[in-house]
Amino acid sequence: MKAIQCENLTKRYKKFAAVDDVTFTIEENTITGLIGRNGAGKTTLLKTIMGYFKPSSGSVRVFEENPFNSLKVSANAIYVDDYMTLPQDVPLSNILDFAKSFYTNWNHELALKLFQYHEFHSDEQVQSLSKGRKMTFQTIIGIAARCPLTIFDEPTTGMDYAVRQEFYRTILKDYIAHPRTIIISTHLFNELEDFLENILLMDNGKVQLHSSIDQLQSYTIGITGSSSKLTQLIEKREVIYKREISSEQQYVVINNDLTTAELQYINQEGLATSSVASADLTMYLTTSKKGGIDDVFNRS
Amino acid sequence: MVLNPNSMKPIYVQISEWLETEILNDNLKADDKIYSQYQLADLLNINPATAAKGLNLLADYQIVYKKRGLGMFVTSEAKSIILEKRKSENLKHLIEDVVKEADYLNVSREELIRLLDEVRKGE
Repeated sequence: MKAIQCENLTKRYKKFAAVDDVTFTIEENTITGLIGRNGAGKTTLLKTIMGYFKPSSGSVRVFEENPFNSLKVSANAIYVDDYMTLPQDVPLSNILDFAKSFYTNWNHELALKLFQYHEFHSDEQVQSLSKGRKMTFQTIIGIAARCPLTIFDEPTTGMDYAVRQEFYRTILKDYIAHPRTIIISTHLFNELEDFLENILLMDNGKVQLHSSIDQLQSYTIGITGSSSKLTQLIEKREVIYKREISSEQQYVVINNDLTTAELQYINQEGLATSSVASADLTMYLTTSKKGGIDDVFNRS
Repeated sequence: MVLNPNSMKPIYVQISEWLETEILNDNLKADDKIYSQYQLADLLNINPATAAKGLNLLADYQIVYKKRGLGMFVTSEAKSIILEKRKSENLKHLIEDVVKEADYLNVSREELIRLLDEVRKGE
């Protein structure tokens, strides 16, 4: 079954299209990473999926329902982000009790175990938690709720490295035991990559790429070598990324569909091939076409 | 097993090669049950879909066979299939690299063979 179906979905704020005519499908019980630069439209897309926003045009369906004003979707989905509204001055354990009464699949045992593992105290209050601690507490709610659709929007903001690794592992373990549809938006793609099945890459409100992680990893190839020899190779090819290493050396990223003749040329001319880290690739695919940061400093 | 994130090889290929090595080393024998995709996911901290892809690769080469509802098991020909595959793929590629480097360094054929013998004796 499809968990989410978007068709020509657009969400405008006045004239600005934050989500611009996107069409994609997310299969049930998969973990998808939503990647994109700041302002790419990730949060707007997620909130439209949750039914918080009404689409300006096009359609979104969650478990075959229009999520806007849908009780079925609210009862079966949870959205965890920085701004999750929790009562500030109520003991944390009361908040867990309340969540238990709200979410039908809630697992209280898991919630309490995670609560203890992360050394929260039942009489602590949200207002006294640091940013990272508050996020950690919210992710406990997000995981224990076991909603068929679980969305984490930048869940690791403020968390230290160790807590982030524990969070990823917690999600993976609970997902293996209780499969569900999970979407995680993140800027730490390299940390999360191995836990994901699919990636949805957004740029300027559009879906730039939607593929499995394995496909992404073999999608491109990096080639390093003398500029003159490289130029001949990439003449007729679309170059995804290019960087000067020195005046004579270059690094380019192109599609990984080299012909035998091209491979032979690479071997003969002593060009070196390398794999492209997925996190780097997503950056290359979403970098503005106005050149790199070096151009800001290159006064000519 | 430790996955190498910087390798040219995708993770699912690394998984299948690791299991192949386990079979070559007799840690997994014919008709032994191998890890399920969920065990592998838990063990290696990766998405179960990636683990499944690694297992399917082994099934494609007929190194393992599926028993519906029970899991995947090592075939009796597994070892010879792996040996043949590694010789024709990996070893050849490695030698290509060695020859390329030797050409760079103007190492003669005789010198190369002498080096090879030396390394073999050193074992």
